[in-house]
Amino acid sequence: MQPIRSRPPWRAALLAGALALAAGGAQALSVFTCEPEWAALVRELAPHAQVHSATHARQDPHHIEARPSLIAALRRADLAVCTGASLEAGWLPMLQQRSGNAKVQNGAPGMLYAADHVSLIDPKPPGTPFDGDVHTEGNPHVHLDPRRILDVARALGEQLQVVDAPRRDLYRQRLAAFEVGWRERIAQWERRAAPLRGSRVAAQHTTYAYLFRWLGIEQVADLEPKPGMPPSPGHLQRVLELTRANPPRAVVVSSYQDANPAQWLAQQLGRVPVLQMPATVTEEPPAASLPALFDHLIERLLAAR
Amino acid sequence: MKRPYLTAAMLAAAATAAGAAMAQPAPTGWQAGAVLDLTAASRALALGQRDKGLRLGHSDLTVFGPMGPHLEAQGTAALHSHERKVEAEVEEAWVQTRTLPAGLQLRAGRFASQIGYLNEQHPHADDFVERPLLYRAFLGGHWNDDGVRLNWVAPTPFYLRLGAEAFRGKRLVDEAAAERPLGAAVFSARLGGDLNASHSWQAGLSLLRNRREAAVHEEGGEAGGEGAGHDHGHGHSHAHGAAFSGRRMWVGEVAWKWAPEGNNSRQQVRIAYERAQVRGLNRFAVRGDKHVADYLSVVWRFAPAWEVGGRIDALSVRIPHDDHFHSGKLREASVMLAYKPTHAQTLRVQATRQRNRAGFDTAGNALQLQYILSFGAHAAHSF
Repeated sequence: MQPIRSRPPWRAALLAGALALAAGGAQALSVFTCEPEWAALVRELAPHAQVHSATHARQDPHHIEARPSLIAALRRADLAVCTGASLEAGWLPMLQQRSGNAKVQNGAPGMLYAADHVSLIDPKPPGTPFDGDVHTEGNPHVHLDPRRILDVARALGEQLQVVDAPRRDLYRQRLAAFEVGWRERIAQWERRAAPLRGSRVAAQHTTYAYLFRWLGIEQVADLEPKPGMPPSPGHLQRVLELTRANPPRAVVVSSYQDANPAQWLAQQLGRVPVLQMPATVTEEPPAASLPALFDHLIERLLAAR
Repeated sequence: MKRPYLTAAMLAAAATAAGAAMAQPAPTGWQAGAVLDLTAASRALALGQRDKGLRLGHSDLTVFGPMGPHLEAQGTAALHSHERKVEAEVEEAWVQTRTLPAGLQLRAGRFASQIGYLNEQHPHADDFVERPLLYRAFLGGHWNDDGVRLNWVAPTPFYLRLGAEAFRGKRLVDEAAAERPLGAAVFSARLGGDLNASHSWQAGLSLLRNRREAAVHEEGGEAGGEGAGHDHGHGHSHAHGAAFSGRRMWVGEVAWKWAPEGNNSRQQVRIAYERAQVRGLNRFAVRGDKHVADYLSVVWRFAPAWEVGGRIDALSVRIPHDDHFHSGKLREASVMLAYKPTHAQTLRVQATRQRNRAGFDTAGNALQLQYILSFGAHAAHSF
């Protein structure tokens, strides 16, 4: 203590500040996620981490701006978890470029894309600009299949062990426990949702494609004339004619979408319910965690009659 | 007259091919894209960058991607028609570090300066057919140049970026009274954050130090652009090179955006205000001689795919003329309506009214129609 006391006080204060900063940096693992589902998954495997989700359930993840606050959040991150498959192509590259954070650049251990660790459904050939927002890699909304969540959890568990090596054992244990619990839940959900198998729905966008495929539900119509294009009156008319003879069980829209087109269609079809459901984990119940999200979605679909 | 269409068609064909070839999944690889910008205008505006008639606007072909783990690079070739000729140029060609420590970044090559709010953004992302008068008068619309940049992003809960850039300056002041290897430097600071889920903001201050004094000609002293002097504003300025310059320019910027709960796909309001002041006009300038420009723009996305907006611009300059100056004052007001069915397309109609208060005899009113089409991948947009 003697040498420090002999120095001018501002030096001691500076040193103390630097030590506090260094200690703080070593303690909290800062994780940036593009969507809330990955924030929820990080919380399952790393409950002590400081998690910041760039978006929430009431936002359309295709239309996010590279806001200054998001650059600042990515600047401080040790690990970033995003969907990939071009879902964030309009904003994430700008955040990475502007953040000046080496840890979260593509190819670095701190940048994890969920889509790189699961198989994607419906890959499309590259189209012209008139085909809408086509994802050539395949449908990016992988988080609505719990079996794929398991694949992403394994990749995330491994990546957490790389970027935060001192807590390696903790992550291994949490991942093992999550896997066991999640498999049980999948079995329960599949039993609970068995009556949905073979049912037909209309939906806006392909947000729920993985969920529907997992539960054996057929999406017979898309309210969007082209991927990413808002429903147009002409297209809705065509959907109506297509589904009038054999109306779907429900018309499904996400909570960030305008429900009016779906309501119009449901009214025209008569006695078909509109289901406006969260597409991801919400801040408030009833879908405030990953298990709660699947519970909620299945209950809503079962209740639609 | 036929050439712009032909070139546009060729560009479109090349871009489609490039887009189709490069749009394959390559999250860590190189990507290519192109932007086609077609404009029809009832007349050219004073200090405007769009000719009368159907013209090729600011169209470009861009490739970008990583160069090993530590660097990334971008190249952009741009085409636009200017006085019935199609001009091509290398707009951007730079490499930038990805892995410097402590939030530092270094960039070198040809790139757009980060001065002001709009300069760094590509013109096809603009909300109006013409850039604000401030940019058209002081920065040649969109100032890119050969140089280096060092940026630092602070590890703070709000966004703070400090930056320094050094440029040759030849693309800011084309013809200088004295050549210098390092012609211009820009120092800038930018702050930003969210007020809550619905409101976000950004503010910045930049200083341009320009060591290239624009050459003053015997007759009708020219200030870098063309048509300076008594009949200033005749026709329009070059796409590059400032019409009015000086030794020091300050630019202050504020941008504010609102979207209900941050969901901008259905509704959004964007407001931007910028003001610039140029001093040290040339060797004949006295203390009170300065150029000033400002603008306020408001854009409202009132439904998915639909936007309406208005902008008011003011410009007050001292037009060099031999050893003295003439006063120049121009006012501009624009309204626009845009339809954006997807990320790839924009159709915009805009009406602009100019008022000449002094020195801008070619000021007038114009109706402009713009169509922008993006092919393949293209770089993400900033705030």
